[in-house]
Amino acid sequence: MNYINNIQAEWIKTKRTASNWLVLVGGLFIPLITTLVYFYQEITLNTLPKNGWASHYSSSWEKMAIFLLPMGMILAGSLITQIESKNNTWKQVHATPQSFTNIFFSKFTVILFMSLKFFIYFNIGVLLSGLIPTLAMEGSMPTDSFPFWDVLKLNAKIFIACMPILAFQYFLSLRFKNFLVPIGIGLLSLIGTMIGGPWDHIYLSPYAYTFYVVMPKETWFNTSFFALISFAMIMVVSLFLYLRSKDKG
Amino acid sequence: METTNCIETSGLNYHFSKNDHVLKDINLAVPKGSIYGFLGPNGAGKTTTLKLILGLLKNQTGKIAFFGKNFHDNRIETLKKVGSLIEAPSIYPQLTAIENLKIWQKIYQCPKERIQEVLEIVDLAQSGKKKAGKFSLGMKQRLSIAVAMLHQPDILILDEPTNGLDPSGIIEMRKLLIRLNEQENTTIIISSHLLSEIEKLVTHIGIINKGQILFQGTLIELQRLQDRGSSILLRTNNSDAVLKILEEKKIVGKVENDAVVLPAISKEVIAELVKSITNQEISIYEVSQQKNDLESIFMDLTK
Repeated sequence: MNYINNIQAEWIKTKRTASNWLVLVGGLFIPLITTLVYFYQEITLNTLPKNGWASHYSSSWEKMAIFLLPMGMILAGSLITQIESKNNTWKQVHATPQSFTNIFFSKFTVILFMSLKFFIYFNIGVLLSGLIPTLAMEGSMPTDSFPFWDVLKLNAKIFIACMPILAFQYFLSLRFKNFLVPIGIGLLSLIGTMIGGPWDHIYLSPYAYTFYVVMPKETWFNTSFFALISFAMIMVVSLFLYLRSKDKG
Repeated sequence: METTNCIETSGLNYHFSKNDHVLKDINLAVPKGSIYGFLGPNGAGKTTTLKLILGLLKNQTGKIAFFGKNFHDNRIETLKKVGSLIEAPSIYPQLTAIENLKIWQKIYQCPKERIQEVLEIVDLAQSGKKKAGKFSLGMKQRLSIAVAMLHQPDILILDEPTNGLDPSGIIEMRKLLIRLNEQENTTIIISSHLLSEIEKLVTHIGIINKGQILFQGTLIELQRLQDRGSSILLRTNNSDAVLKILEEKKIVGKVENDAVVLPAISKEVIAELVKSITNQEISIYEVSQQKNDLESIFMDLTK
């Protein structure tokens, strides 16, 4: 019960924050550009190859997952934690009657919810960016059926691929009070991962998994499974260091 | 074990680095129902002590007990009974006062009605829907106190709550704390670096300097210390003659600023002395008791 209450409390804290706007703008940016391009180039779901919906979704996710999505996750993972550092409220949070583990997980749960919100906005945006140009230019619904399960599966895979990024950014933002440090490290790591893409062991970077999902290549491992292992390891180390920190004020 | 103190610390030591001892053997005893003024100059170790008591800093050596129970073994149960305000106000500026309180109401799981109640207590009922970021420092401070008292704690720990408040704000805060102490029987620990700010409020005082407790006791005990340090001032037209009279009466006196200053003596001895002086036709302009104010005792202790 305490955990649920704490999540509700953490959710209130995100109200009117930059992270909230970021999720909205970041989630709708690519669909908006796609809509404009479709109108300009007179593309509809029915003119796209294979199943129009599937092509539209995978191309939208590709654009998103390469840079914008990891960047959004870097910001979401860092900014939500920074609410406490910026407002000097950690001392108040840590003086409440709840275990530190509870505080650690409820805050991270809110980061996951915020990311989920980002996914929801993006999916609504992608849906509309396919539907609106088709309806406007052809005056009818797309002929292809909507591949609901494939879309859901793709979303789940990408969400899992984001979890190591969120965990690592959470870890960084718990360690550093200045929000520029976790964001700076996150961006540099993301760029480093992009440059080091061809390296055989790039899967060691928590920022690599979204690339694996949208640009599949032959691997000896299951990407989602590896992402989950990576996520769990980062969270365990992060929790351990958080519990051991000497100054919680 | 039954104890009359709600907070006790023993042998509390803390250091940031090997040679930087911030606290040395702190033994605090905060009686139930008291208003305990924790006094010391800036950097004396007040905030560090309060942070240790609240578990915000990892305890290095020594023991902390609330109501006779070890804090670290009962952290969650203890914190249910404690409200705190450490250093600057802890508020989320993008949220309204009500939303700020809602956060803590969820965590402490107290009734929603308490939000309005505490807003009224701290005189912010009319500003509940205003964003806390737009509040003045005094209002922010009051909102932080509302947060601290939301769950009706038995103990309030307030670290320099009057920082940045104007004189009327300080008086308001004082009234509020006295009311809480008297009506709700809340034990209050309030830290300050200004004795004048809390001497009208507290029942007990602990004075800390350079990480060590220099005085701990009731305000009356501190006042006794004040009386012990007081002196008598005699201003006449002939200080030398007065000194001679004092010598005869085996009282040590000295001349300071054209007046004779002597240690505190009983009323009867003063009357006798005045008689002897007038008998020698010396004019007396002033006889007064020079009390050491609490501020100077504090300064003496923290020298």
